[in-house]
Amino acid sequence: MTNPHSSPKISIYGDHAILVNWETDGFSDAVNDMVHSLATALRESDKYIEVVPGYDSLVCVFDLGQRSVDSTKRHIEDVLARRSFGESKVGQLVEVPVHYGGNDGPDMGTICASAKLSADEVIALHSQQDYRVCMMGFIPGFTFLSPAPKELHHPRLATPRAKVPAGSIGIANWQTGIYGLESPGGWQIIGRTPLSIFEAKRETPFLLNAGDRVRFIPQ
Amino acid sequence: MTITILQSGTQTLIMDAGRPGHRHQGIPGGGAADKLSFAIANHLVGNNWDTPALECALGGLHIRFDENYIIAISGAEMWSQNQGLNLPINKAVQVEAGDILTMSFTRSGCRSYLAIAGGVKATPFMGSVSTYLPAKLGGLDGEALKTGDILNIGAPISGPRTLPKSHIPLLSNHIVLRAEQGPEWEYLSDASKRYLFTTPFYATVATDRMGARLKGDSVTLDTPLNMTSSPLLPGSLQIPPDGQPILALADGHCTGGYARALQVIQADLWLLGQIAPGAAVSFRRNLADDADSILRGKNSYYADLIPGFSF
Repeated sequence: MTNPHSSPKISIYGDHAILVNWETDGFSDAVNDMVHSLATALRESDKYIEVVPGYDSLVCVFDLGQRSVDSTKRHIEDVLARRSFGESKVGQLVEVPVHYGGNDGPDMGTICASAKLSADEVIALHSQQDYRVCMMGFIPGFTFLSPAPKELHHPRLATPRAKVPAGSIGIANWQTGIYGLESPGGWQIIGRTPLSIFEAKRETPFLLNAGDRVRFIPQ
Repeated sequence: MTITILQSGTQTLIMDAGRPGHRHQGIPGGGAADKLSFAIANHLVGNNWDTPALECALGGLHIRFDENYIIAISGAEMWSQNQGLNLPINKAVQVEAGDILTMSFTRSGCRSYLAIAGGVKATPFMGSVSTYLPAKLGGLDGEALKTGDILNIGAPISGPRTLPKSHIPLLSNHIVLRAEQGPEWEYLSDASKRYLFTTPFYATVATDRMGARLKGDSVTLDTPLNMTSSPLLPGSLQIPPDGQPILALADGHCTGGYARALQVIQADLWLLGQIAPGAAVSFRRNLADDADSILRGKNSYYADLIPGFSF
């Protein structure tokens, strides 16, 4: 188990960004909580152009014309030292209908072969648990969820696809997630939801936010 | 106060300075892919540097002006004509109601910026009218311009201006980018570490505002890396398992799962917008201590001439 209170590694990401990275062996709820708490604190400081949380890492982008790398690193260290990290808020539970396999899940065969399971067993495994929304990103509405069951873990495609349809549900190593929009992508696609996760013209453009939970309902 | 799109060309988009600050929601900052050329075009016609303008990739754009306007074209070198007369680039010119402008045959670079005094009007989303095609944001209904589109033009706020020739960037079809090590640099094989900074890559046809898929000798890692998805920035060079690098551009993905080998320095990010399919792309190692002075130098070079602009 990862000790969530262990200090993360702060490193330089090019000349105008800093990467904060926690060592985890896979995934840790506690680390993801820390990532989001740090993100909130850094965003409140108003010193950054972007504060982008990940599962176990955070990138903040600054303007090198305004701040130096060293002062930025020091600021992050100060915030980490001072901040008392609380529990993350538990969001809403969202049910997401999924068509697994077929044209909607072109990589179902790959996952069945590596898991040595039938498609029905893969579907049952993938939809049996609730997932936590750990981060949003990649493209608008891309939903990164907490780990899939171990049997389903599989590396990304060696060459990413030029087009993955919106709503596609995929697997990348232990991660599982939903493509919010059509985009290029390298995840193993096992199904697709008709829900639109991001809709600019909707009153609330994002259907899901970090902290929510997702339950897949096979159709 | 309108202009009419007669032919939209390869891809013509309404752009401003973009919508930074939303990468955590998966929305890239976007905006003019070559911020410098965009700022120059606006400056020449008397606009603020970040006024909405047209970004025309690779040419093919035909426009009819429905009123008299002051316009300027900067960025990629295209063959531009107004009423059949060659137009200079990087110079404010007067066009008249009914005039037809054609922009075609890009000789160097990828994107030209057409600024019109008063600026192009569009409805902002999250504070910007910049078109982001993957999510249909900004622009006219989130789309690239189409034949028959009519754009509203604002009222000019000042007269045309000039810029010394020394401040006009020279573009070529060999884009050289200064870069520093990315977070996963250490995972590269020793051969690849040398190779990345010595040999040019070529941008394939899979090159758009999101990224440039590059082609060259394979870049390899010492051991395969099964990364957890992590934030990604414009100017990050990712190495997928097939060894053909992908350079993230203005509309690039907000997170990625491949090794981030290099990061282009802030002072050179504007050049990412001028990578055309087929262009050669080289990386030069930048020492961390130099990045600061390079950026300060470039910022101060333009600071007095284009108010508010910085790299």
